[in-house]
Amino acid sequence: MLQLTIQIAVNGLTFGLIYILMALGFTLIFGIMRVVNFAHGEFYMVGAIGILLLFGTLGFNYYLSIVFAVLCVGLLGVIVERVLLRGFVGRELNSMIMALAVAITLQALAAILFGPQEQSVARPVTGVLQVAGVFIPRDRIVVGVIALAVLIAFYLFLRYARYGLAMRAVAQDPAAAALQGIRPGFIYSLAFGVGSLLAGLAGALMAPVYTISPFMGDVPMMMAFIVVILGGLGSIPGAVVGGLLLGFVESLFSTFFGSTIATMIAFGMVVLILLFKPSGLMGRAQ
Amino acid sequence: MTMRSVLLALGFVAIVVWPFLVDNTFYTHIGVSVWMFTILALSMNLMLRMGQLSLAHGAIMGLGAYTAALLMLRLDVPFLPAFICSGLVGALVAAITGPVMLRVKGVYFVLLTFAFGEIIVLMFIDWVSLFGGHNGIFGVPRAELFGFVLRDRSYSYLFALGLAALAYLILRWIYSTETGAVIDALHDDEDLARSLGVNALGYRIGIFIVSGFMAGIAGGFYASYFTFVTPESFTFWTAVDALVMNILGGIALPLGAVIGAVMLVPLPELLRDSQEYQILFYGLILIFFLKFLPDGVVGVIKSLSTDSSRSLGKRFMKILAWRQVK
Repeated sequence: MLQLTIQIAVNGLTFGLIYILMALGFTLIFGIMRVVNFAHGEFYMVGAIGILLLFGTLGFNYYLSIVFAVLCVGLLGVIVERVLLRGFVGRELNSMIMALAVAITLQALAAILFGPQEQSVARPVTGVLQVAGVFIPRDRIVVGVIALAVLIAFYLFLRYARYGLAMRAVAQDPAAAALQGIRPGFIYSLAFGVGSLLAGLAGALMAPVYTISPFMGDVPMMMAFIVVILGGLGSIPGAVVGGLLLGFVESLFSTFFGSTIATMIAFGMVVLILLFKPSGLMGRAQ
Repeated sequence: MTMRSVLLALGFVAIVVWPFLVDNTFYTHIGVSVWMFTILALSMNLMLRMGQLSLAHGAIMGLGAYTAALLMLRLDVPFLPAFICSGLVGALVAAITGPVMLRVKGVYFVLLTFAFGEIIVLMFIDWVSLFGGHNGIFGVPRAELFGFVLRDRSYSYLFALGLAALAYLILRWIYSTETGAVIDALHDDEDLARSLGVNALGYRIGIFIVSGFMAGIAGGFYASYFTFVTPESFTFWTAVDALVMNILGGIALPLGAVIGAVMLVPLPELLRDSQEYQILFYGLILIFFLKFLPDGVVGVIKSLSTDSSRSLGKRFMKILAWRQVK
């Protein structure tokens, strides 16, 4: 029983870290630009395709491929923000529809360039670690450690770096931030770039674990939605709490009742939160 | 003016006799799909008009489709009562969930309906004994009106066209009454409307019920026309399709939803061989409209017919004034 509990907790933690990675960017973009980024799953997908190309086809070092792929996704995010989304900042419904259009277009481009079929890359790390009867796949440990490191770096960036501070300022009060000489346009690009970079990292990390296809982003985007609503749209601590919560709930219910029921429970939590506390578990009331 | 009414009459006749004009099952099928999705797009137009985008409308259509399918297959209910029930189930879902869900506004409502819709689709998938899981339900009987089975696609076409026309007229009628004015007021400034004594939530629920009925009817038609239903057809992407139809056509008028359906529905059917390019085209055209024509085709027509004529008139007046000065 204890072993099972620990196993469920470990599984929940490994799911949760990836969810947090997805949700952080999503919530950052919403907090700063008021854009519900329906294209977030597509940046995840582009990150995974980067690994397919660099690590799978060209045979570069896996970790080097991650760095390069993730930077490219960040750049793509900046371009998308600058060219397509900038005019819609603050208009929640229209910007959301524009993000949907971006999602559709990116999916189609990926399908045209890389084919619609599911592909896979060799796992750079294999094997299973067994500690006190609990099984942990080694590749999941790598994913977890990298995700955790990036999360801490991201936290330090927001907390102490000049631009991190500027981002938080714009999220709190764009007008007051502008009065302090912070250029909102630059912060929008930065936030969207960092947000898509984090999504791309999640995709790059999960590429060897799951199969890669143009439509692989749908499920992680849904998970990011759930996490962010549970924690509170725009709230960074909320994304962490929501991600861990979703990871554990998913791990618990899929162990006993199957994954469809687990997803249903997650959506059920979303409905309840939206009805009774729309600002989320950690969000500020509006 | 007479020229215009002649053209309109010709267009109307062409739409009605379309299946007999083309005499081709494939083009007739496209026509049926167009009018079926017109109903869904119109039901979405009601929601957009009051400023609440629902991503659950695909799932509500699905509930209608499964209702009609199950009633006819399992309980041997004749088509017409089953068909009406599919609409009633849509309305019932709206009536039950509306009082709670419609309190939520803006992005939160979109995400709420998104989650709600996906739960319904997951229920279709997971409750295999009732809904048949991923395989769905096959062998749904075809529509039968007053003892006449719509085996021929041309008759399905006329049935779908009739339903779409009815939905269109209902929307026109709603928008022309005081209810329409209230809906617009709720969209523009809800606080002001409420301060004037308007029961905002009541109106929203009423509109949601009508909209849910229409989405359910679209589903009931879907089940009997395709003779099968699967959960994949009713995810939030179906609601997105209905939304995109409204944006391309223009949200301001119900005619926009119709135009959008006519523009968009034939696309996947005509480009069936190159699905990726079809999706790409879909995404690009959506970006183009959002960026350059945010009011859709209806907006373009409006600006052509009013603004430019006004500015032409202005220019004419200027020329006259200039001549007199000279």
